[in-house]
Amino acid sequence: MAKYAAFSRVAVARAGRERGDLYGRVAFFAVILGVFSSLWRAAAEAGLCVAIEPRALVWYLAVTEWIVLSAPQVHLDIQEAIRAGDVVYRLGRPVSYVGAEVAAAFGVLAVRLPLLGLTACVCAFAFTGWIPPARAFAMAVPFGLVAAALLAALHVWIGLLAFWLHDVSPVYWVCQKLMFVLGGLMLPLAIYPGVIQRIAGYTPFPALLAGPASFMLANGGATPAALARDLAIWCGVTAVGLGWTFRRAATELTINGG
Amino acid sequence: MPPAVELDRVSKSFRVRRPRRPGVGARVRDLLRPRTEAVTAIDRLSFSIAPGERVAFIGPNGAGKSTTLKVLAGILHPDAGEVRVLGLVPSHERRRLAFQIGTVFGQRSQLWYQLPPRDTFELLGRVYDIDRLEHRRRLDALTSVFEIGALVDTPVRQLSLGERMRCELVASLLHAPRLLFLDEPTIGLDVSAKAAIRELLRTGSEREGVTLLLTSHDTGDMERVCTRVIVIHHGRLLWDGAIADLRRGYLKTKRITLWTEAERLDLALPGVRVLSSGSYRTEIEIALEITPLGQVVDAAVRQAAIRDMVIEDAPLDEVIRTLYASAEPRQVTS
Repeated sequence: MAKYAAFSRVAVARAGRERGDLYGRVAFFAVILGVFSSLWRAAAEAGLCVAIEPRALVWYLAVTEWIVLSAPQVHLDIQEAIRAGDVVYRLGRPVSYVGAEVAAAFGVLAVRLPLLGLTACVCAFAFTGWIPPARAFAMAVPFGLVAAALLAALHVWIGLLAFWLHDVSPVYWVCQKLMFVLGGLMLPLAIYPGVIQRIAGYTPFPALLAGPASFMLANGGATPAALARDLAIWCGVTAVGLGWTFRRAATELTINGG
Repeated sequence: MPPAVELDRVSKSFRVRRPRRPGVGARVRDLLRPRTEAVTAIDRLSFSIAPGERVAFIGPNGAGKSTTLKVLAGILHPDAGEVRVLGLVPSHERRRLAFQIGTVFGQRSQLWYQLPPRDTFELLGRVYDIDRLEHRRRLDALTSVFEIGALVDTPVRQLSLGERMRCELVASLLHAPRLLFLDEPTIGLDVSAKAAIRELLRTGSEREGVTLLLTSHDTGDMERVCTRVIVIHHGRLLWDGAIADLRRGYLKTKRITLWTEAERLDLALPGVRVLSSGSYRTEIEIALEITPLGQVVDAAVRQAAIRDMVIEDAPLDEVIRTLYASAEPRQVTS
């Protein structure tokens, strides 16, 4: 484990050096929360039917965006390493390639999650003047940490596709859009049509976003036990998928001659 | 002592997609059922390298050099034949082998671009399970030898190519490998940086007994660092021997420059080509198989008193070009 911790430490150092990226995420996060808090407040004042309290919706969004913005775009690093050929160095080391990439992604999370979490709390409070009960935080934060870690691992999985695909960005963007719709990125899934909710149930996206964020709502959909089960299942699926994909990728590397 | 590297009739081929055919129908068929062909990268390749040897491993582009290095490092698995590196089978014991080998790919980087080299060195210390004290001692020693003291805390992105290359070498040597694979270690470097890297490689290998297997298109790397050369072409062994023997074996010509009392010489001998003549200086090329060197010198002395004379071998580049030209075309099987 010490080896993988070393990869995380280097990634922490790297994330600390990329301050522009960090500040950009903080600013973007603040803007997103500001825009949507104004939108939902305006909708409520105009008498439009808003099933959920607008201030709770802002905190819901704060949690989903916290998870999404914290997850590093590690797929781009992997893609670049494969394109440039630097991957041969990484494959030749006495460590698991996938393990090292996941550990590095966790290192970036270790920097972003606290900073963006603080941003979420400060901005959501500033825009709503309200703080959800402590029980909501007690549930949303630990589940959110696990969800962010799972999302980072999914990004590693997308990155491994670069062994076959020249550009994995389309896969990433499809995944983003699916998170938008099936994960309840902007609005709780309960608002969506039944068919969407049923389809979403077969994907990891509700467990990644809507699940942890729903604790911010008065009548949130997720129960801790069900969410823990779903996250455990999807973590298992991702771990198996990463291992299987990497073994196939190693074969593909053979075909391409590195 | 067992060989550091031993290949016995090793073959490796890849399946690659055939070029697209014109026409919509053909394209759809290619999409549904891609047509592939087998390309042989290594073809029954055999050689062995003794511990501490410094060997140049050369061949034209696509000859199979990089594939061979990756097979030796355990990254690629051979289709046939046997490979042993430091007594281990790379494809089965890659992680064990990784502790004993180092790799330097001149066009790749193992240093974290945004961070100073020290961070990568620390990471590699962990990756290779190096004791902290030993790691510090080793890093101090390598920092001194490679003169990177002022660089280790500078972000890699701010280093010149030559500085980065020296740091790459330190990164590859930190775990004290017994065998170092070098793929174009001096590519893109200026003349003085090349000379420094070559000197460091040669003396480092001599001091620590590290076996070197170096691939390069730069004959200077071979001549300054290595004592032996293995040439492959189309994945097959073309030549294996001392660099001096390579020159002798393939040397068909010599060049002579003569400074004489006469303004110009008239050397109309078979196999002799006058490259330039005038201003008391004559440059000629002799085909040694046709006319011996001594006969040409005698003819020159008979025509005029010689003030000075330089006899040169053909450049190693030329020797290697001749060697490549003698090889057969690549075999492709559908």
